[in-house]
Amino acid sequence: MIALTRFRLAAYVRSHRAFQPLIGLLVLLAILYGAPLPPGAELGAMADSAAILIPVFAWAARGLLDNEPDEQRMIAITAVGRREAVVGLGAAWIFNAGLAAISFAVLTLRLSARPEVAAVLAGIGLHLIAILVGTTLGALTSRPVLSSPAASTLALLLGYLAVLLLSLTGLPWLTVPLMLWMREAHQGELLAHFPALAAWSLLWPLIGLAAYGRLRRTRP
Amino acid sequence: MLSNVDLAFARGDVTEIVGRNGAGKSTLLRLLAGLLRPVDGTISERPDVVGYAPERFPVDQPFTVADYLRHMARIRRTDPGAVQTWAERLGMDHLLGHRLADLSKGSAHKVGLAQALLGGPGLLILDEPFAGLDAATRAELPLIIREVAERGGLVVVSDHQGDLRGFPDLRRIEVGGTTAREVAPEVAGAEPDDPADSGPPEAVTILEVVVTLSRARELADRLRGEGHTVRISEAEVAE
Repeated sequence: MIALTRFRLAAYVRSHRAFQPLIGLLVLLAILYGAPLPPGAELGAMADSAAILIPVFAWAARGLLDNEPDEQRMIAITAVGRREAVVGLGAAWIFNAGLAAISFAVLTLRLSARPEVAAVLAGIGLHLIAILVGTTLGALTSRPVLSSPAASTLALLLGYLAVLLLSLTGLPWLTVPLMLWMREAHQGELLAHFPALAAWSLLWPLIGLAAYGRLRRTRP
Repeated sequence: MLSNVDLAFARGDVTEIVGRNGAGKSTLLRLLAGLLRPVDGTISERPDVVGYAPERFPVDQPFTVADYLRHMARIRRTDPGAVQTWAERLGMDHLLGHRLADLSKGSAHKVGLAQALLGGPGLLILDEPFAGLDAATRAELPLIIREVAERGGLVVVSDHQGDLRGFPDLRRIEVGGTTAREVAPEVAGAEPDDPADSGPPEAVTILEVVVTLSRARELADRLRGEGHTVRISEAEVAE
């Protein structure tokens, strides 16, 4: 499984398609951190970063999974069996962790004050959840599930917008509560509620991954 | 869509899948390889190591031939040194440094065959393996298939061009009319759109072919592989 993960990461990076989400990330970073972050805004900035980067993570995950030609995916299935789908998700998660690390490094450089350790840990936790959410969204819009590139792109963007809008409504438990992340982080309440919020936030991507696994059973 | 398919394979079997274009040969191969799951019914006791060579090898990958095959060897947990062995055997050792995207159809097809053979498959699935191959590899491939079968491997080949005709103990499965069934060797292979394979046995004739000495044995092997009787005369210089 490690060999297949390395193969897929190498194929994605060498194909130069990996630059697309990377450029998207750099544009977002330039917008988010054009000015230094004032003291006290550390956790709020980390929550904003995690929520805003989800479409970039989804784009990268979909790109990595779709980078492999269909026939090569068939060859991979005959080599490692149905674990091929897990390997794809793992490779996408690792690539996205790299993007998140770049983002986190830039964010840290733009801080005006030293943040609390608890705030940094919560920020890292939110980014890890965001990577999972983005990877799941990317996987659910990848070619084996949605064969049309246009429909796939639309589904990815609308999927993220739906998550944002639903988390704005009075029924935020219907989705990943992104707006709640940001609101509570800016109001200084996130650390107190973090475990429950993290568990709630993990529920939907895990359901999404289960759906992806189910769909891939009949869509090799 | 295939239905009412009941097939059994034994270790060492070499089976040819025949049928019209679009009859479902590739679908049957993908079912056997474990790429597709039957909606109803089961496929049981599939060997652990499956080698699969698709009809069209995907060249849109950013690797050289050597890099790609070494990756495949590691994925299949086999010695990357086997890459050189198979490259030489399939007559593509001079291509190892070439990018996949630069390969001709036949060369790309060889890469597909090589990756399928890495790891010593217990089940080898080849979808139109002879398409686009040069004469030397066309002659070599039946020998490779025989070796896989002799060590207990199961080989299933979709062979629209009939290059395996004359292969000893070859089983044939005909796909068509939404089902697949085993047929006698003399009946299968008879493509309805191929008049040479239909009707009563024809009279034989002798066809003289003038060929350069260096290519004579290769051509003879190929023709023998197609079931013809071949005699090579004394070498002489053609005027």
